[in-house]
Amino acid sequence: MASPMEQFEIHKGLQLPTVELPGGILVDLSLNNSIMAMLIAAGLIIAFFAVATSRAAVVPGRMQLIAEGLFSYIDDMAHGIIGHESRKFFPYVFSIFLFVLSMNMLGMFLSFTATSQLAVTVTLALMTFLIVLVVGFLRNGVNMYKLFVPSGVPWYMLFLVTPIEIISFFLRPVTLALRLFGNMLGGHVALKVFAGFIPSLAALGAVGVVGAILPLAGVVALTSLEFLVAFLQAFVFAVLTCVYLNDVVNLGDHH
Amino acid sequence: MAAEDTLTAPGAAPAALEGAHAGTAPADNGGGGGLPQFELQYWGGQIVWLLLIFIVLYTLMSRVFIPRLRRVKDTRAETIASAVAEARRVQDEADAQATSARAEIEQARTRARTVAAEAKARANAEFAARQAEADARIADELAAAETRIRSLRDTAMASVGDIAVDTAGAMVERLTGTAASAADLRAAAKGAA
Repeated sequence: MASPMEQFEIHKGLQLPTVELPGGILVDLSLNNSIMAMLIAAGLIIAFFAVATSRAAVVPGRMQLIAEGLFSYIDDMAHGIIGHESRKFFPYVFSIFLFVLSMNMLGMFLSFTATSQLAVTVTLALMTFLIVLVVGFLRNGVNMYKLFVPSGVPWYMLFLVTPIEIISFFLRPVTLALRLFGNMLGGHVALKVFAGFIPSLAALGAVGVVGAILPLAGVVALTSLEFLVAFLQAFVFAVLTCVYLNDVVNLGDHH
Repeated sequence: MAAEDTLTAPGAAPAALEGAHAGTAPADNGGGGGLPQFELQYWGGQIVWLLLIFIVLYTLMSRVFIPRLRRVKDTRAETIASAVAEARRVQDEADAQATSARAEIEQARTRARTVAAEAKARANAEFAARQAEADARIADELAAAETRIRSLRDTAMASVGDIAVDTAGAMVERLTGTAASAADLRAAAKGAA
């Protein structure tokens, strides 16, 4: 039996040159299964939206209806959290939602889940965190300190509250990355482990074959749960991106 | 614009960070235990590719797909809003027309009522006049007839005395054989009358 961790191993494919980034860092650009999964995920989104919006009509077709459904779903969510300025940030939120959703869902059909790679989730989380920082400083300048000093808190409490706020703020990219990574990793490991029980039990003879029905049912149930998790984690990532953006966009309005 | 700049900016940092790791990472990928995700030699390529893919995806989304969908949705909202406004306007117009029509009907009904009342009054007056005329004519005729009857009766009554005298004279003559004097007869008739 293969190890449940084997599915996360990177296998090098097409050899591409190693490039040197500014700062003398060498990066091997060779394609591997993780990069292929990302390429397919993004390619599917682009292909779908290219077709769905190619003949965008006031009365939508089937594909356009799905595209508009996704669009409205995230647009309403972003508007509900960020408010009237949500349209500026919507392209980023929508792109990251679709990309994560597409990678998660592809993981249910292909042998590789890009979002179960820590490198991928860390990059996505850091990207969101840095955008929040940049937007925050561009809009608020030095007033960014208000993020850590909630108004309406007695001054003596600030000695306690401010360190907590600072820690929680800088833990955001960590939790953002680990939540997605952990969910995808755990789900796929659990699937593999349960699936591994089936042939192991079946090898024990007639009783084992009957007993193997239990893990089989478990795998079926887990698979449907994993579809839910795949969607939910993409949505949670998008919601948290909106929440973090809202903190710096409407700084001082809520605190 | 700003968001895109920010997209490229974070790209450099983690890639640089992890690239540095990748350079120094020990080649321990053969050993069991550790998660394959911690093989840092693959992080640099994944991060750079992820950023490239995401920039392409973001650019296409923000420049092409989202504007298309936004335009359609705005157009639809506009169409619906204008259709609703148009419907409301037409409804108001219809209401106004209905009100004026009702007023017109009311007016026509009033006019019809007055016309009918007038016609009735005229007919009544005419009828009354004609009846009065007829009554008068009948009364005249009645009076004339009564006068004639009365004169006829008077003449008839006047003749009765003479007839009675003649008759009495004839009867007296037949019974007694002698004619009675006319004066006696007349006195007797008067007494009998």
